[in-house]
Amino acid sequence: MVNPVVLVAVPLGLAFALPLIGLVSKRMVKYIPVAAFAFNLVVVLRHIPGVLEKPVVVHIGGFVPPFGINLYVGPVGILFAALITIAGLLVSVYSLVYIREGAKEKYHILFLLLLTGAMGVVLTGDIFNLFVFFEVLCISSYALVAYLGDKGGIESAIKYLIQGSVGSSLLLIGIGLLYGQFGTLNMADLAREIQSASPVSVFVPMALMVTGLGVEAAIFPLNAWLPDAHSSAPSSISAVLSGIAIEVGCYAVVRILFTLFGVTDLLMFFVFLGVTTLLIGEMCAFSQSNIKRMLAYSSIGQIGLIVFAFALASSYGVSGGLFQMISHTLGKALLFLAAGYMIYRTGSMQISSFQGMGGKMPLTALAFTIGAFSIVGLPPFIGFPSKFLIIRAALAKEAILFTVLIGLILLGTVIEGAYFFRVIQVIYFKKGSEKPERREAPVAALIPMFIFAALILIIGIYPGLVSRVLGPAANELLNKMDYIRSVLG
Amino acid sequence: MNWLQDTVYYIGAFGLVFIGLFVMLVKRNLIKVIIGLSILETGVNLFLVSVGYISRGTAPIFSNPLVETRTRVDPVPQALVLTAIVIGVAVLALALSLAIRLYQHYGTLDLSKIREQKW
Amino acid sequence: MRSIVSLVALAVIGAGIAVSLDEIPFGAVKSRVGGHYVDLGREQTGASNIVTAVVVNYRGFDTLGEVTVLFVAAMGLGAVLATRRNKQKPDIESASLVLYTGCRFLFPLILLFGAYIFINGHLTPGGGFQGGAVVASAFVLVYLGCRGKKINETGSKLVESAGGLIFILVGFAGLAVGGHYFLSNYLPRGELNTLFSAGVIPIIYIAIGLKVGSELAGVIDRLVEEST
Repeated sequence: MVNPVVLVAVPLGLAFALPLIGLVSKRMVKYIPVAAFAFNLVVVLRHIPGVLEKPVVVHIGGFVPPFGINLYVGPVGILFAALITIAGLLVSVYSLVYIREGAKEKYHILFLLLLTGAMGVVLTGDIFNLFVFFEVLCISSYALVAYLGDKGGIESAIKYLIQGSVGSSLLLIGIGLLYGQFGTLNMADLAREIQSASPVSVFVPMALMVTGLGVEAAIFPLNAWLPDAHSSAPSSISAVLSGIAIEVGCYAVVRILFTLFGVTDLLMFFVFLGVTTLLIGEMCAFSQSNIKRMLAYSSIGQIGLIVFAFALASSYGVSGGLFQMISHTLGKALLFLAAGYMIYRTGSMQISSFQGMGGKMPLTALAFTIGAFSIVGLPPFIGFPSKFLIIRAALAKEAILFTVLIGLILLGTVIEGAYFFRVIQVIYFKKGSEKPERREAPVAALIPMFIFAALILIIGIYPGLVSRVLGPAANELLNKMDYIRSVLG
Repeated sequence: MNWLQDTVYYIGAFGLVFIGLFVMLVKRNLIKVIIGLSILETGVNLFLVSVGYISRGTAPIFSNPLVETRTRVDPVPQALVLTAIVIGVAVLALALSLAIRLYQHYGTLDLSKIREQKW
Repeated sequence: MRSIVSLVALAVIGAGIAVSLDEIPFGAVKSRVGGHYVDLGREQTGASNIVTAVVVNYRGFDTLGEVTVLFVAAMGLGAVLATRRNKQKPDIESASLVLYTGCRFLFPLILLFGAYIFINGHLTPGGGFQGGAVVASAFVLVYLGCRGKKINETGSKLVESAGGLIFILVGFAGLAVGGHYFLSNYLPRGELNTLFSAGVIPIIYIAIGLKVGSELAGVIDRLVEEST
């Protein structure tokens, strides 16, 4: 069985070697990320059956935790690893043709490293290691948002950078406070020590760390950077930012709260925060006329829903949150990829310029429609079982408050449906005055879009394909004693 | 006074942290905000190093055989700070390159005037 | 208005941190792992600088991430500054003979000093990042003092990539050889306090030193190009 450390080490090696490869042959450079993610996909798929039985703990350097860093590949880790790898592979194939200008070699290096940072965050078992790979993720995303070099891009990047760096410094202060109090950096060891500590003494480090990670996870009110950043980045990067980066940030928050600090009762504060984020995101999205800003606000809304699901802290709730993450990654990435080529053809990001796209780019428009239906939550797409699971989790709480919150969530879904249907209406039912000529997106861009669409459809019809992983994953997050036992013995 | 002697390091480190945060929240010139970020990161690094101090300890380096018997301070926060300083430098470099391009696009470094991305 | 709100917010955070700092007495022994590293570091890794042992060996994966962060920043800076905005070349006042000769004279000495720091990282205070920064400062001196001289961009790219690759390959070799762990210290420990000791630590630190030096020199080069 291949050592899971190659999931991080091989892409890093390829990224370091990329400038050398670029000196030899400029054409090969864009295929390297594809190769890296294809390799990763094979490794991840081979690990899935084993990991579901027993988590794989890798001791880096041969030192036993807590005296060395360890990787922890459990059901949650392998689920995120699969998501990151699939999304990375498909978007890197899309980037083969989509990236036409700028310093292309650097784009591919930064893209590869962004996803490697994300992979490091989800697989690590050490809190400072999480910080370091989190920084790899964040700094690559600051640079990629500014990639196109236009006015909006640079402005969004600097604002994202400032907010993100303050968050990282708060995270580091929290790590310092934890180390000073407990003397170790290993997550399992900290989890064991925190059990016997008083809640008052660990509240401040917990608040600092959640705030620091919450900036990247786009939890209200720390998400002011998101609409600008996701709309100014190139569309392939927006797909990865909305689909992977904020989900990984959310994973980090959940891992800290559940496993490290052992907060496993109902988190009412986050329940309300989640619903607030959802409603604000959807309402802002409704008022947008720029398609990418609309999709960015929709991401904020979806993260609100995911936070609400996790805050329920029940097995159904956590499974629902994880399922919603999968559905959001697949759906939002598809939407951004499709929108990317529609924007390229019309030269404008305004929704009104997409008139008649149904005729000019039928396949791309179909892909966009599938993504939109999935995000809204219509069957038979993946958005339906995921939202259903969350609502079922909330109903299981059996309190009037939760019925009210479910009502608000459904209201958010209705608003979501409204603005997505508005876009679809413009695409399909408003014919342009001239006869539409078909100029489809290139094949290398269509293939990833249709693989995303196929995954959305298949998992939507057979949700059992992922629920075998969701159950153990939810269990891993909620059950910290098992986590401690598998690492420290 | 003994209390002050022990906590002055924490007060100094967090003083820098709060000065940095205040500058970042209040100042409008982009270069000043970036300097505030640098001060914030310096403060955090100072705090991390002072966490590792052990009374009457010396550096955890064994090259001089004359100081064999003294206690050594904790090496882990020093390793953390090494990493944190490098990450801080990296962010600073990227921020300054963005500031250069921003000035070329807008002609000003005043953050309240750089508001092209509206609602 | 904004100042007052910020001050209040910072005061609240400050109060919270002050409460939490009570739990961390200054100067007390707090770490469960620190003592272990100090006591057993010399025999487990063979390095006499325990901080180096922690950075490269015990927490080597963090160092790999750190090297990656620096790489990402250098690439990001290159990507952002990729298109040159102003095409005209203003005339640069060339340096006086004394300045020019002085800088040329100092350049190899500073390089030597930087190289000494990263080669001896496992024996004396110092290491790859510190040595790399000194090496880069030698290049800054040349940029400031001898106007018009530039580094060889291809050469610096080569050294940078080679440094990073060596680190990863040494880590992978640990998977193949020795105890089958990534980044394990599989070369012989050697005698304490000699140059050829501590297994793979000097190799990794030399690779990091070269990488950081050429990377920071490349960043300086890019920024100087931007200003002329």
